[in-house]
Amino acid sequence: MLDLHPTGQASASAELGTSLRAGSGPSFDRKARLRLFNSAFKIACIAAAGFVCLILLCILFFMFRTGILTFRDVSFSEFFFSTNWDPENESYGALLFIFGTFALTALTLLFSVPFSVIIAIFLAEMTPAWLRNLLRPVLDLLVGIPSVVYGFLGMTLLVPMLRDLTGHELADGLLAASIVLTIMVLPTISRISDDAITAVPKKYRDASYALGSNRFQTIVRVVIPAASRGILYAVILGMARAIGETMAVVMVIGNTAQIADSLFKPTAVLTSNIVMQISSVEFDSTWNHALYMMGFLLLVISLLMIVVMRFLQQRGGKNA
Amino acid sequence: MTDRSASAPSAFGKRSGASAIYNRLFTGFVWFVGICVILFILGLLFLLLQKGLPKLTWDFLYGLPSEIEEGGGIGPALFNSFYVLFLSLAISIPLGLAAGIYLAEFAPDNKWIGLVRICVEGLSSVPSIIFGLFGIAIFVEMFQVGLTILGGAVSLAFLNLPVLTRVTEESIRAVPVEMKNASFALGSTHLQTIRRVLIPVALNGIITGICLVAGRAFGESAVIILTAGVTTSGSMWDFNLFSPGETLAVHLWYVQSEAIVPDAQEIAQKATAVLIFFVLLINVVFRVPLWLNGRKTKL
Amino acid sequence: MKKWFKSLTTIALAVSLTAVGASAAGAASSLKGSVVINGSSALLPLTLQAKNEFQKLNPKVKISASAAGSITGPQSVRKGIADIGAVDWDASLDVPGFKKFDGQVANPVAVTVFAAIVHKDVKVDSLTTKQLQDIFSGKITNWKDVGGDDANIVVVNRKFGSGTRVNFQMKALEGKEFMSKGDNYKETGSSGEMKTAVESTPNAIGYIDLPYVTSKMKAVKINNVAPNEANVLNGTYKVWGIGYFMTKGQPSGATKAFIEYIQSEKFQQGSLKKLKFIPLSAVKK
Repeated sequence: MLDLHPTGQASASAELGTSLRAGSGPSFDRKARLRLFNSAFKIACIAAAGFVCLILLCILFFMFRTGILTFRDVSFSEFFFSTNWDPENESYGALLFIFGTFALTALTLLFSVPFSVIIAIFLAEMTPAWLRNLLRPVLDLLVGIPSVVYGFLGMTLLVPMLRDLTGHELADGLLAASIVLTIMVLPTISRISDDAITAVPKKYRDASYALGSNRFQTIVRVVIPAASRGILYAVILGMARAIGETMAVVMVIGNTAQIADSLFKPTAVLTSNIVMQISSVEFDSTWNHALYMMGFLLLVISLLMIVVMRFLQQRGGKNA
Repeated sequence: MTDRSASAPSAFGKRSGASAIYNRLFTGFVWFVGICVILFILGLLFLLLQKGLPKLTWDFLYGLPSEIEEGGGIGPALFNSFYVLFLSLAISIPLGLAAGIYLAEFAPDNKWIGLVRICVEGLSSVPSIIFGLFGIAIFVEMFQVGLTILGGAVSLAFLNLPVLTRVTEESIRAVPVEMKNASFALGSTHLQTIRRVLIPVALNGIITGICLVAGRAFGESAVIILTAGVTTSGSMWDFNLFSPGETLAVHLWYVQSEAIVPDAQEIAQKATAVLIFFVLLINVVFRVPLWLNGRKTKL
Repeated sequence: MKKWFKSLTTIALAVSLTAVGASAAGAASSLKGSVVINGSSALLPLTLQAKNEFQKLNPKVKISASAAGSITGPQSVRKGIADIGAVDWDASLDVPGFKKFDGQVANPVAVTVFAAIVHKDVKVDSLTTKQLQDIFSGKITNWKDVGGDDANIVVVNRKFGSGTRVNFQMKALEGKEFMSKGDNYKETGSSGEMKTAVESTPNAIGYIDLPYVTSKMKAVKINNVAPNEANVLNGTYKVWGIGYFMTKGQPSGATKAFIEYIQSEKFQQGSLKKLKFIPLSAVKK
């Protein structure tokens, strides 16, 4: 159990040499103990990994158990292929929310990924060390700003600005929501990509420079591909946050159950609809079940997106 | 950690031809975008801080909230924020690290583990409101403990577990394989290698992960509203795990959405400034040892 | 790690059981126990203020409140996860959209007044019930049709299940349905968001509890009667409602004491008035 607190070993890196020496003690007793610790630690790690999965399975089961009851009263095709969401009159078409979620996530990634990767390159490869050490905490800071604050800023600054720029009476909608989300996921994506780029071994770069590449070539052809695994994870994490974000989106998307055929039309996504209505409907009503089903759907969508991205990465890896 | 990027390119910067132009353009472009975004972020922070920070007083930080009169404080909510953060990290860091280490070091590379990995990533995309509902199902309905600090902290820990797991895994994987081999060659066991080599080297990434997670936990409101409630026990330093646990972010939500106090706007501004300040503090507290350590090993 | 978690939850369970036991046993003697309140966020400031005062008098009573929306109040009470369900309408009776909750007692605690509000630049000062109905159902879409400038009306609504929405629909719109779609229609999740939306959106109309009305918006007269306390008391302004604390059966123990504290003249005439609610005694009888 004690071994589960490896952060306590923060100082260990300093005594790296001494510790390695300690491992070579020949006593049998010590060896047996080491072996025991080793396997105990491994089991603890497996248990922890199992626990993480267990949580997901519990949540999936919990959402599914309630959500599936929807289909007692609503037909499968209505739920997935109808865009008419009017539960007060027994219409449960969730397509518009599904569409909204996809559209919002795609827009957000479109804005945030290029910016984030450039910021990551900027931080990891170009800025002098002192500036880097200053900027990294600033980026981390943004993650800690509550989403309520982002939402409030979006509502009081961004939306009126969009309103003036476009001449719409009400500029709530996909564009406003995706801009707010972009700002929210930017630090996450760029910081994790930054770490991934920094972790690319120096020898790769040295080899590239030694072959006569300039910085542009080194970054684009060597560093980014080498860090692509980490960058992809950063993008997935950002995407995950974009799909799952609620409090900020609710404030700027308009919360109207209609399909968004324009960037400025008030609409709704899965999360915003869940958060707006879950606490306002009666337990054990079809409406409530439908909201749980939407939660389940949200999970399935994000799992699917992750699988697809992993698949794409594998394909890409083979071609390169 | 090192200055590799600052010095290396200049030696080769004078090459001519199209690629050199690309190089210039690219460098300029990255600098331009970088500076724009940094300015934007600083502007955003300034905007959030300028209204709240100058008005901060000790009474506000320490005082009890008020519903009617102006001048209510955020004392218990601030304390709860730290308490809940501490508890949730105490649960999620060991679990997250262990799971991350497992995935990076022990797990065989097969389809089954691929599935586990997708599970972990999937979990990180679960909207916080669902963790809140899940927390209610466990703590309020199953164990009947009501709205408590404990419920909030555990639900928050669940929220943070997948991110910690994945960040740990990624950072450990990024450790050069030579280091690991060297450690094994010296006769270390796997556990020793992990403890003495892998984790110290991967610490930078892990700390980034913890900072991200801590920041997110500090600013999370949806989960806490559902599992820990919007009240505090009304006194400072209440360590009871079963007290209601309104955190600062929840208080901010409450003040912005429902409170009638005349100075709600000002409280919100000040609370925002306090939140940002403490997230900064958390970052510094986690990073300073790392930085000192980095200097020590360099010498 | 799992074991650890398990033991923690067992402890949690044990402690909670003793807490429940204690509250049952202690009710008879000096006041102890815990009260869990859930429900309407509009009543939350009132609940929190009462909690602060009540706990000063009865330090051994533990009160925790959360707010997720009116309907969660009586539902939590029915499920047994809350002792008091705060709700903006009498949930023991049917209202538009919600069935009654059997076996629950509605304990009135305060009177709230609701006002139709517009952005401060809108030129309209008074609307009739018919005009309000047409605006909120989407039939009238331009301010010039009700005597204002030529500009599209932006309708801001509260989400379904909001107590303010139920009351406004029943009393100001006389039960008429709201619109649910449109380019200039949005829904908000809380009073604060409603306030911000109407303050910052030109040509917007919405509705809100009277205490939230600020100088950056305009509360319009309904059928030429201004929304204020005097008009409620003399019976000319109809758009007000009573906030209730729902309990499972008649309240007892700490719950009863807490409700009685809120209903006491001292609280009603003191803090409740300061929070800009109207005392129950003023409108009853």
